[in-house]
Amino acid sequence: MSNAQRSALSFAVMAALLMVVGFSQSWPLMLTILNLCLISAVMALGVNIQWGYAGLFNVGTMGFAALGGVAAVLVSKAPVPEAWAAGGSNLFMGALLFALTVAATVVAYRRIPKGPLRVLALSGIIIIGIIATRYFFDPAIADIEAVNPAVTGYLGGLGLPILFSWAAGGLFAAGAAWIIGKITLGLRSDYLAIATLGISEIIIALLKNEDWLTRGVKNVAGLSRPVPYEVDLQKSDWFIGGTEWLNSSALEGLAASDRADLLSNLVIQHSGVFVKLGYAGLFTVVLVVVLGMSVMALNSPWGRMMRAIRDNEVSAAAMGKDVTGRRLQVFIVGSAVVGIAGAMLTTLDGQLTPGSYNPLRFTFLIWVMVIVGGSGNNLGSVLGGFLIWFIWIEAEPVGVWLIDFATSWMDDTSPLRLHLMDSAQHMRLFMMGLVLLLVMRFNPGGILPEVTKARAQ
Amino acid sequence: MHSWGGRAVLTDVFDALILLSNFVIIPVLTYGSQLALGALGITLIYGILRFANFAHGDLMAFGTMVTVLMTWWLQSIGVGLGPLPTALLALPVAIAITIVMVLFIDKSVFKFYRRKRSAPALFVIASIGVMFVLNGIVRFIIGPNDQRFSDGERFIIKARAFKQMTGLNEGLAIKVSQGLTISIAFLLVVALFWFLQRTRTGKAMRAYSDNEDLALLSGINPERVVMVTWIITATLATIAGTLYGLDKSFKPFTYFQLLLPLFAAAIVGGIGNPLGAILGGYVVAFSEVSITYAYKKFLKYLVPENWEPDGLVQFLSTDYKFAVSFIILVLVLLIRPTGILRGRVI
Amino acid sequence: MKKLLLPLTLLTAMTGSAMAAGNDVKVGVLLGFTGPIESLTPDMANSAELAFKEASDSSLLLGGKKIVPVRADSTCVDSAAATAAGERLISSEGVAAIYGADCSGVTGAVAKNVAVPNGVVMISPSATSPGLSTIKDNGFFFRTSPSDARQGQVLAAVLKSRGIKDVAVTYTNNDYGKGLADSFNNAFKAVGGKVSITAAHEDGKADYSAEVGALSAAGSKHLAVFGYLDQGGKGIIQASLDSGAFENFVLADGMIGDSLIKAIGKDLTGTVGTVPGGASKGAATYSDMAGKAGIKKDGPYVGESYDAGALIVLAMQAAGSADRAAIQSKIMMVANAPGEKIMPGEIAKGLKILAGGGDIDYVGATNVEFNEVGEVLGSFKEVEVKGGKFATIKIY
Repeated sequence: MSNAQRSALSFAVMAALLMVVGFSQSWPLMLTILNLCLISAVMALGVNIQWGYAGLFNVGTMGFAALGGVAAVLVSKAPVPEAWAAGGSNLFMGALLFALTVAATVVAYRRIPKGPLRVLALSGIIIIGIIATRYFFDPAIADIEAVNPAVTGYLGGLGLPILFSWAAGGLFAAGAAWIIGKITLGLRSDYLAIATLGISEIIIALLKNEDWLTRGVKNVAGLSRPVPYEVDLQKSDWFIGGTEWLNSSALEGLAASDRADLLSNLVIQHSGVFVKLGYAGLFTVVLVVVLGMSVMALNSPWGRMMRAIRDNEVSAAAMGKDVTGRRLQVFIVGSAVVGIAGAMLTTLDGQLTPGSYNPLRFTFLIWVMVIVGGSGNNLGSVLGGFLIWFIWIEAEPVGVWLIDFATSWMDDTSPLRLHLMDSAQHMRLFMMGLVLLLVMRFNPGGILPEVTKARAQ
Repeated sequence: MHSWGGRAVLTDVFDALILLSNFVIIPVLTYGSQLALGALGITLIYGILRFANFAHGDLMAFGTMVTVLMTWWLQSIGVGLGPLPTALLALPVAIAITIVMVLFIDKSVFKFYRRKRSAPALFVIASIGVMFVLNGIVRFIIGPNDQRFSDGERFIIKARAFKQMTGLNEGLAIKVSQGLTISIAFLLVVALFWFLQRTRTGKAMRAYSDNEDLALLSGINPERVVMVTWIITATLATIAGTLYGLDKSFKPFTYFQLLLPLFAAAIVGGIGNPLGAILGGYVVAFSEVSITYAYKKFLKYLVPENWEPDGLVQFLSTDYKFAVSFIILVLVLLIRPTGILRGRVI
Repeated sequence: MKKLLLPLTLLTAMTGSAMAAGNDVKVGVLLGFTGPIESLTPDMANSAELAFKEASDSSLLLGGKKIVPVRADSTCVDSAAATAAGERLISSEGVAAIYGADCSGVTGAVAKNVAVPNGVVMISPSATSPGLSTIKDNGFFFRTSPSDARQGQVLAAVLKSRGIKDVAVTYTNNDYGKGLADSFNNAFKAVGGKVSITAAHEDGKADYSAEVGALSAAGSKHLAVFGYLDQGGKGIIQASLDSGAFENFVLADGMIGDSLIKAIGKDLTGTVGTVPGGASKGAATYSDMAGKAGIKKDGPYVGESYDAGALIVLAMQAAGSADRAAIQSKIMMVANAPGEKIMPGEIAKGLKILAGGGDIDYVGATNVEFNEVGEVLGSFKEVEVKGGKFATIKIY
């Protein structure tokens, strides 16, 4: 079977799985799953760019996704003028002093020769800088957080349409990746993994505790949407009219009251489908653009160079390639893609909940997607994103069903059966691990393995 | 109280020291010992099998779960250890079952990659798979809830009794679980070092960790070394998890979260180096507690009355306690990636 | 285009009407069966299902219909998974209403993204974030636990009346804990109290010595704990007592429960706290029922869960059908005065009255009375640990 056939077949199977959900459960549910599949696919592409192209073992996906979420808040929420009035000037002074401290540290590091003097000067600058910065920051933060803490208590955002935040999320993540990459990319692969895991936890800790910026664990709810609200659609004439037209055959020949009932039911259901299709359309555009760019990049000389660095770092360096620089580049690009997906996810949720970021869901699950889908293969990552998210969601009902089936011979009140039924939700974790281990063992390249010249022939 | 008379000053100094012991030193020693035992397992796997085992936290949870189930059974038939927790009696069986489990995991998962000489990253990803599976199994069997299984006496000395005994303002409390943790950790570490330094197998392990090829040439059986490593790791993980559970309580989610401080401990000390893992455990525990402790009351005892600090004298809010170990971890990775004691050797 | 969309829309229409068929009415039970509060949710779900069972067993519901609860996992933290679970309940299972969700974050997400757009009633037993008062819910979102803003004020008043002027505060680091700490701190300062330190604790960590050390260093005699009794909150109290840091505690609703006294022992004597609820008669009746059904009767939000379940079936009966919109239109009527008062265990009586066209005022385990945005106003009990029990001192 050629690679193209294999890809086509895999995607056909995936589509069929989604259709099964549509027919056996419901179409809105299928669309909900599909939307998250699309986001997961973008996120998996980001990880694939780092791992599949360049062999960077970045286990900090969660942090970059969360930064994308922050972008959604900072771009789309309306600013809170009271908070700016209360703490704006002090905050500005604090930021200025912080920038000065960083600049002075860099200058001192470069100008003073290595030795005890430099250590002394650097520690002096940093300590004085922190004290001076906190002198302004602390009261600013206290003032901002005191502004109606139940509803605001933070600075708010720019009040722009939330679609801009997808780009902003990419930029945020890229910026963070630049700093993180500068300090960590010199590390060996598994050290890099642990360092990025630690850094992503630090990012989440910041989001959870810096209420003045993100409201912390109090969450920011009610983000604006790039698509209409269902309740608005249900009231607008054109939508009701459209629904009537679509279902004219079903509505025909009904009594007036039955007809109105059915129509109002249909309008409610259609509005949900319409909104989901709207999101799906937007996400698909992003996915196609990111995927197209990834495929082009992978097949370009740049992509070949990345793979050369991944496969043999020493000889790539010997050929005069700037290994560290290229790695930083690919780290930034991959993280930016994850950031975009993070912003999309927060947009779809309609709220930022910093407490909800945990590494199992936002880092390891994405890794499972990439590995199972086929690392190094862009289409593979997309497929992995779809398939694994699908399993993650469907593991629960399937788990309940399986246990119900397996224990059906037992008495309904048998404690073992009850215990197992209660534990069905935990099937999700178990299944995820099992899928990962089985694929790695029996199909190490993933479902759609990397395409290399040698293998393609 | 803050006059400069001899006896009062002495009392103040004692009070300050007891205060610090009670809130910093004893908790640090206990938590540090628990981290050290866990980190030892991570570091041994890293030294011999050469990968960072992400499933270690959940392995601890698995071992502890078996201990808990055994303890309940023993309690139900009325077997106990008097003042000591019954769990100690259940431990050997739990260790044996955990050993069987890890050997099974090794045979069914890791051996395959070892034979293929896969990159370390693949081992790590496989261990993530094992982590998911163990996570699921533990919740499946015992459920996600908090489980209590400690019994026997709770305290070696109580804070109130200590105050009455000494007449000081501050009390010192030492729990049985704290005493047990510290002493068992000490004994285990001594035994482990004796094993690594003095026995044939231990020497083989060190040789294998130092230089795999050379060790193979000198006729060391690699599969045997790996097996012994897993056995030791499972033993340490079960004991560490049980001590942790006795001191606090058993909850599967907590053990998953322990993974990160454990890594911090192993790396800070120098990964692959058992001595480093122990040192790292205490360093992580000490920094978590000491950086987020508010020194106001401590200083109050030591400085003249009108010098008392206004603020809490806290370097970092406890909100960031969790992040402290990672900040140290990242700093160590940047400044001295081999850790405090040079890592990657046994 | 029309041809393409038609099958899709027809199918959705079919699943929509499927709920009316048969003798069973499905109701969603959407709670975090996995995740941070996984240890609380089984009792909450059992408690709501107790109310469903009561209605089903009475054979009075809509002329003998049975309620079939359908459980789904909200995960408490993952909004995306919770939304998908909610979607499954509504569009695939075709539930008539949803009992849940639990944590404020996911509850907001499910309400906004699934329940409200589909016109399905959601009654949360435990989402207490003040922010949820203002979401655009079209009247479809209700909660049987009062908003945290109110409890902070009550607790501050309780402390003032007891002459406690200086406390250290620790809260569980989520929207519940933080929101409650904010509201308490402001209210306490307003009545002249002093909060010496406010420090968060994370749930699900076993070691709280650092938090306790920092809290005690601030020098207060009392420690206010806003957390969960089988989570970090218990750990904080245990560590405080073990190290002798604090001997006096002030607790909020998430911490009140006999299992705490059982776990900690007599050292807890004298501890004060507040917990939602007023009519102690209803609460006592419910305790008995829950005890018989094997539910941890003092667990947080179990009474609220039972009430949420009861309101759903009663509104269904009042509406005379399991139609989603009709249920919504009757919730306020059955929950609020006027009408015959309905206590826990009297669901059958309520169903009978409603079937006869009468009006009821559901009181339940937690003294339910909704305000105009569908939240309970919340009367609170001041409780104190006396003789190994939480004894009610006063109703606020």
